[in-house]
Amino acid sequence: MANDIILETESLSKHWGGIKALDNISLQFRDRELHGVVGPNGAGKSTLLNMLCGTLNPTSGCIFHKGERIDGMKPWKFVRRGIGRSFQKTNIYAEVTCLENCAVAAQRRFTGSFNLFASRHANKLVREAAEKALCQVGLDRRIHTIAAEISYGEQRQLELAMVLATDPCILLLDEPMAGMGHEESLRIIELLNELKKTYSIVLVEHDMDAIFELSDQLTVLDNGTHLITGTVDQVRNEPQVKEAYLGKEEEEEAA
Amino acid sequence: MIFEKRTERIFLAIFFVVALCIPLFLEDNSFFVGKATTVLILAVFVMSLDFLVGRVGLVTLGHALFYGLGGYLFVILTPEYEAVNFWTYAIYIMAISALIALIVGVVVLRTSGIYFIMITLAISQMAYYFFFDSLEFGGNDGLFIFMKPETSIFGLSFLNLDNPSHFYYLALLAVLVTLLAIKIILRSRFGRIVEASRLNPERTEALGYNIFAFRLISYVIGSTLAAYAGLLFALQYGYVNPQFMTWEMSGTALVMSILGGLGTIYGAILGTLTYEGLQYVFEHMSEDWMLLMGGAIILMVLLLRKGLAGYLEKLLEK
Repeated sequence: MANDIILETESLSKHWGGIKALDNISLQFRDRELHGVVGPNGAGKSTLLNMLCGTLNPTSGCIFHKGERIDGMKPWKFVRRGIGRSFQKTNIYAEVTCLENCAVAAQRRFTGSFNLFASRHANKLVREAAEKALCQVGLDRRIHTIAAEISYGEQRQLELAMVLATDPCILLLDEPMAGMGHEESLRIIELLNELKKTYSIVLVEHDMDAIFELSDQLTVLDNGTHLITGTVDQVRNEPQVKEAYLGKEEEEEAA
Repeated sequence: MIFEKRTERIFLAIFFVVALCIPLFLEDNSFFVGKATTVLILAVFVMSLDFLVGRVGLVTLGHALFYGLGGYLFVILTPEYEAVNFWTYAIYIMAISALIALIVGVVVLRTSGIYFIMITLAISQMAYYFFFDSLEFGGNDGLFIFMKPETSIFGLSFLNLDNPSHFYYLALLAVLVTLLAIKIILRSRFGRIVEASRLNPERTEALGYNIFAFRLISYVIGSTLAAYAGLLFALQYGYVNPQFMTWEMSGTALVMSILGGLGTIYGAILGTLTYEGLQYVFEHMSEDWMLLMGGAIILMVLLLRKGLAGYLEKLLEK
C-alpha cells in the first residue's frame, strides 16, 4: 500500500522561550497521499506547517525531503524543491488582477526572473500556467478581476491557485476552507480529492467532515505533542483522541 | 507600450517638446539654461529615488551618498589638468558606484522598515563626515574640477560641455535614458517580482523568490543612476563638496518624489519641476521663502494624497 516517503520529520521541536509549541514530532508524509493534521487551537498545527515550508526554523530535530536534510534552508529554496504552501490568513497581492497573482507564482518556472528587459506580459507559458491554475480552482471567470474585489471565499481559492501555479509536488495547506461557504467548500473538497492523486498534500483543517473524508493518514496533535497518526478509522476509535480532542468538541457542541 | 497611462503620455510629450526647445529660445540667457540643466539633473536623481522608494519599497534616506560619490569619483579618478573622455569615465564611475552600492546594499538590506531608513541615513552621514574631515578630499570646501571632459564617441564629438546649451542637452538625454531604463525594468519579469516583493514580501518569498537578491539588484540600479546624476551636477558646476551628500539632499529629493506622486516615475520629473519652480518664485517674493515653501508643501501633501501625478490622473484618465 505504501507510497514512497517524500517528506519526513525527525524529533521536530519548536520552543518559544520555555513554551513548547511543538515537541518531538516525528512524522512521515507519503507521495500521492493526503495527510490531515488536526488538533485543538494551539496544538501546534500551524507551527508544524511553518517549519515544513521553511518559514520557521526548528529549535531541534530535522526535516528530510526525499532523504535530503532541508531544515535551516531559506523558505524560497523549499519552494524550488517543490514544497508549496498556502496561508491560513489570506495572503495575496490584493492590488493586482487574479491573473497577475498567479503569473507571479508561475513565472519562476518558465523564464529567468532576473531578465531586466523582457516584458513581463510577453511569455505565453506563464500566462497559460496562470490561467490553468485559476481554472483548476474554479476562478476562470475572475481572471481579470482585481484580487481585492473578489469575495473572501474566492480569495481563498486564489490563494490555492497561486500555490498550484508554482507547480509543487507537495502542498502544505493551512485551513484552505476557513471562512468559505458550503458550495465553495464542496468545490475545494472535490478539487483536493482530485489533486491528491498527483500531489502529496498536508492539510490542516478545522472542518472535521472534510478532513475525515479526504485524509489517507491523519495526525492528531494536542498541546504541542503528537497523539496519534493513523488512518481515519484508527484515529476515530482511539479513546485518547476522543478524550483529548473530539470529546471536548462534542461537549462544546452540546453546551 | 511602456507608458500605460494617458496622463503619463501627455505629460511626457509636453515635457520633452518644451524641454527640447528651451535652449533655442534662451540662447543668450545662459543663467537660465544653467538653472534648467540643474533641474534636469535633479530630476534624474529624484527618479532614481522614486524607483527605490515607490516601486521597490526601499525607503532610503541615504540616497545622496551616491549622488556625492558620482562627483567625488570623477575628481579622484581623473588627472587634474587633462580633459578625459566623458563616456569612458562615466562608465568607470557608474561601475565603481555599482560595486559600492552592492556592498552597502548587502549591509542595509538586512534590515527593513524604520531600521532601513536609519541605517541608510547613518551610512550616508558616515560618508559625509568622512569627506568633510578629510584633507586629501578638500574637507568642507571639496574639490574642483579644472577641466571639463570631452565627449567624443569613436572620434565624433557633438557636445561641448563648456557650452551651457550642450550641457543642457546632455542632462535632458540623461532624463530620457533614466526614464526609459526604469520603465523597461519595471515592466520586465524582474520588475514583476520586484513589485510583488513590495506588495507582499512574505508571499513572494513563499512563491520561491529570493527577495533579497531582487532588492539588492534594484538598489544597485537606483544607486548607480544617482551616481550618474551626481557626476553631471559636479561637472556642471566644476566642483564637488560634502554638501552633495547631506541628508537634506536625500530628504529634499524624497519630498519632490512624494510631491510628484510616489512610484509614478514621471511624477518625479513633475515633482522636481514643481518644487524648483515654487522655490524660484518664493525666493523672489520674500526673504522668508522657506516658510512659504514649507506651507505650500504641507498644503499640497494634504490636498493631493497621491501627489501631482495622482491628481492629474484623476482629471485625465477615462
